Amino acid sequence: MSEIDSLKSELRVLEEQALASFTQATDLLALQALRVQYLGKKGALTNVLKGVGRLSAEERPVIGQFVNQVKDALTAALDAAEATLSVAEKAKRIEAERLDITLAGRKANKGAIHPVQQGLNEMCAIFAQMGFEIAEGPEVEDEFHNFDALNIPQEHPARAMHDTFFFHADEAQQAKLLRTHTSPVQIRTMKGCVDSGGQPPLAVVAPGRVYRCDYDVTHSPMFHQVEVFKVDKDVSMAHLKGVLKHFLSTYFEKDLPIRLRPHYFPFTEPSAEVDVGCVFCAGKGCRICKGSGWLEVLGSGMIHPNVLKAVGIDSSVYSGFAFGLGVERLVMLKHGIPDLRLFFENDVRFLRRMGA
Amino acid sequence: MKIPFSWLKEHVQLTKAPKDIADDLVRLGHEVESIALPQAGVLGVRIGQILDMKPHPDADKLKLLKLDLGEAEPLAIVCGASNMKQGDKVPVATVGTNLPNGLTIKQGKIRGEVSFGMCCSVAELGLAEDADGLLILPTDAPVGMEVGAYLELEEAVLDLDITPNRGDCMSARGLARDLAADGNLPLIAPDEEPADVSDSVAVPSVQVTASNDCPLYMARRIEGVAVSDAPDWIKARLLAAGQRSINGVVDIINYTMLDLGQPMHAFDADKLTGGLHVRATVEGESFLALDGREITLHAGNIVIADDKAVVALAGIMGSEHTGVTETTTNIVLESAAFRAALISTTRRTHGLVSESSMRFERGVDPEMIAVAMNQATLLILELFGGSASEVITIGDADTLVKHKVVNTSIARIESRLGLTIPESADDVLNRMGFVVTRKEGLLEVEVPSHRHDVSLAEDISEEYARVIGFDAIPEVLPSLATIKPHAVDTAMSSATAAGFVQVINYAFISPAEQRLFTAADDKDLVLQNPISDAMSVMRRSVWPGLLNTAKHNMNRQQAGVMLVEQGRVYEKFDTEKNKETNVIAWLMTGQIQADAWYAKANKADFFDLKGAVEAWLENRGLVARFMAEENKLGLQAGQCAKIFVGKAVVGFIGKVDTDIASNFDLASDVFVAEINLDVLNAGKKAKFQPIPEFPSVERDLVFLFDKKHSSEAILQEVRKAGGQTLVEAGIFDRYIGKGVPEGFVSLGIRFVLQDAKRTLTQDDSDAAMKSIIKAMADKFAAELRG
Ligand SMILES: [Zn+2]
Repeated sequence: MSEIDSLKSELRVLEEQALASFTQATDLLALQALRVQYLGKKGALTNVLKGVGRLSAEERPVIGQFVNQVKDALTAALDAAEATLSVAEKAKRIEAERLDITLAGRKANKGAIHPVQQGLNEMCAIFAQMGFEIAEGPEVEDEFHNFDALNIPQEHPARAMHDTFFFHADEAQQAKLLRTHTSPVQIRTMKGCVDSGGQPPLAVVAPGRVYRCDYDVTHSPMFHQVEVFKVDKDVSMAHLKGVLKHFLSTYFEKDLPIRLRPHYFPFTEPSAEVDVGCVFCAGKGCRICKGSGWLEVLGSGMIHPNVLKAVGIDSSVYSGFAFGLGVERLVMLKHGIPDLRLFFENDVRFLRRMGA
Repeated sequence: MKIPFSWLKEHVQLTKAPKDIADDLVRLGHEVESIALPQAGVLGVRIGQILDMKPHPDADKLKLLKLDLGEAEPLAIVCGASNMKQGDKVPVATVGTNLPNGLTIKQGKIRGEVSFGMCCSVAELGLAEDADGLLILPTDAPVGMEVGAYLELEEAVLDLDITPNRGDCMSARGLARDLAADGNLPLIAPDEEPADVSDSVAVPSVQVTASNDCPLYMARRIEGVAVSDAPDWIKARLLAAGQRSINGVVDIINYTMLDLGQPMHAFDADKLTGGLHVRATVEGESFLALDGREITLHAGNIVIADDKAVVALAGIMGSEHTGVTETTTNIVLESAAFRAALISTTRRTHGLVSESSMRFERGVDPEMIAVAMNQATLLILELFGGSASEVITIGDADTLVKHKVVNTSIARIESRLGLTIPESADDVLNRMGFVVTRKEGLLEVEVPSHRHDVSLAEDISEEYARVIGFDAIPEVLPSLATIKPHAVDTAMSSATAAGFVQVINYAFISPAEQRLFTAADDKDLVLQNPISDAMSVMRRSVWPGLLNTAKHNMNRQQAGVMLVEQGRVYEKFDTEKNKETNVIAWLMTGQIQADAWYAKANKADFFDLKGAVEAWLENRGLVARFMAEENKLGLQAGQCAKIFVGKAVVGFIGKVDTDIASNFDLASDVFVAEINLDVLNAGKKAKFQPIPEFPSVERDLVFLFDKKHSSEAILQEVRKAGGQTLVEAGIFDRYIGKGVPEGFVSLGIRFVLQDAKRTLTQDDSDAAMKSIIKAMADKFAAELRG
């Protein structure tokens, strides 16, 4: 056998051996070792090539080509084996990493915004979008802001209906009380504006806590109101209706009809109770609306000229509307909450369920 | 106010059904609370006569009755009332009757005695709120008849909520006037035929010295009456209107008031000493009211007095001893006007309320004073005989009924309502008693005397709105004029995002709760008329409320709670001003981590809450410092800190004293914090900073420190020594135990270096480490470990 033939047969044996060993490899690490063993710098293939020196100049390129063929074949076989093994290994790892995904997730403590706060936020946002500015006022009030300036003089029958909480007062002190409605913010805002040299237009939304000395199933001694008012030239009752309609439909996320009924409040003239189409039965009549198809939701009206007078606004030039929303009532209607007392019992199960 | 439908029809020929009339009333501004059909509720209740009455053998308070209901056999009933006697006729609810109060009558045994029904009071018949004793029916009531039919209850009764501005509508006639005008129906005039007057009866002697408060006083004497029960038709009407029958004369007075709206009073003339004097009171005068109460009057009240005593608190209530009774033969009848505001303050001062005062303080129709006097006289003379004197009138009736005039313009009314006013609306107002004149856009409106509530152009606009109907007003959105954008307050949302549940507690707490966290001083705001002692002081800390909420929830199977509340705390500031401060407060107690497949149960500690507060402040762009606080009332020393932002104290955090916690049934440690939002809100908004471009270098050093040094103080020195490039320093490890000498603590300090302009080198970090090691040695004699 010539030198070249014996080299070739040596290479063929090597190739066969190598290919056989590749199929035996069970993991990528073993395969890597085989790669080094056969194709590495000091590998078997290089070893065989040491015999090339014995060949003639004509034979060398022939054997070179042959070696390259073997090398390519081995490389291809190694790559193929590697690909197969890595797919298998990945599949194995995936199998090993398999979870019982029905186990509970790591529990984060669930917080919640109180439903009344949520209601206040929603209501204020709607009015803010309509251009109303948010204002606040004190809860410990005096009689001037809570009553007198709102056209409810001392002997007025409406004053008795307010069930006011009073504070113990020193002799010289003006009587202090807990505000019975958010309407004093109307007075403070308008008066503040006029006293600092301003004039209307004013468009204000005033959220806050109010207090009435009344405590039973349907009354809480503390609750929340949102006072809304606008004073400008030519503000009319039609604007009042427009704002109410927009607000109620936005808040309840439904196009609801509204209905105004004449009523009496000392601080508005004309005054109106506002009904909204029942959100539960779409006006057909149900237990909650007592079959009427309407829900009474708030009191409203055109600001009484005596109120404007009390804060120094000329009622022959300016007019305005005002209304007060009972926050708890609207939240109860929106979410079907049956009992006012739930809001102040603060049971976290209720709050987590209802809160946002 | 309850008014039977038939009564309205006596004043106006209504053609609609009660339900439709109720709708009209609502549209006109009179709230209809209900339309009741009383008979439906008393079907099966029949008139029974008591044949026999014996005490129950086993019960002192019960009686055994035998009642004749017109059947072959008398009915046996056990009854607990005591106001009846043998021979009386009473309403008997027979077996199977459903009473208005929801009771269904069944045959039963009461203490061993069989009972086949129930004898009823007016309350049980649903005709009044309450009653004492059975309703005793007139002697001529037919036995066996349905009570509903007998009392003429077959018709609807409207229950109205008349607003305080419409005193003129607190009568059948007043409501009928609105309905007549609205429906364009004629209002039937009251009986104007004057009562017969006998010259032989002397007019009573009356003197009015308080003419400002009593602008008109009318009185007459009626002699020789024989007072008996009012006729059934009057009694039935009173009953339907929710009023009890007293005696014939009093019933006529009440009937006239409900009919015409004018409250009157009748004195027993023989119980008066001398003439009547309408005058202001002097301080301390006493008055024995109709309900038997002795009232001490203040100066400036207005009363009717005789020569001896106060015989009536004007417009509110007569006295106990001078009222008309069954035995009265001579009467003085009063019909008058009193100043509304005075009646209101007087009755409120003394805690009195009557049908009369309710009408006077809301304003009555002065034109009815004489009409009512005449109508009541006619009825008394017709029913109980006697002869009447002339009427003595003191005061100027003409001035009282003079019509006000309001001048305005159509344009003004239209611009207020956003509506065009048709001339047809003028006609409705005219029918209501107004006199409307339009001339070239100007409007002159004469206001009838009964409309005390109308005096301004705006009042006229309301009248137009009422008669045109609020439904006619269009819905117009005003043009949007954004004045100031509204900043969204994230105080609460960032707290709840961290797992806290927002609660809202009452702003008033008990005095004892106030003292838990606030020492006694003179700054408490104390309610004069609290719901209860537990709700009598305005809170100066939110913590008591949070403790109560924690208690409520922990008693309901919660293993732990994380609560947050935002609201005000209140205190007296000086004599005129009070301070209301907005705060946010947290409470954590019990498990914040339950046993789970991935973790062991874990209870809240100081650092859980501190971390939450720090994160909350960080969300607002603020870095807090905590300084140990030894003397915070209610919090445990050593686990309590003052919270600083910059130089300002913004709040406190700490562990609630365990005695306090156990008073709230809280067994686990309770941690609370409170931050003053008013101080914080004055702070800055977060400013943009570029994200660092060059990498940071992190290094750790472990030292042995004397325990007395706070980590805050140590880190402060680390920051100083670390130089310009030190951006963060913290404790990553804390160890006490083996290898650490007694009184010492091993602290691992990790710091981060970063430069905005270049990548830091090994030399940079070595220099910083060296400087820190030196500083720790110099300031704290701290040794570097391993
Ligand atoms: Zn409904």
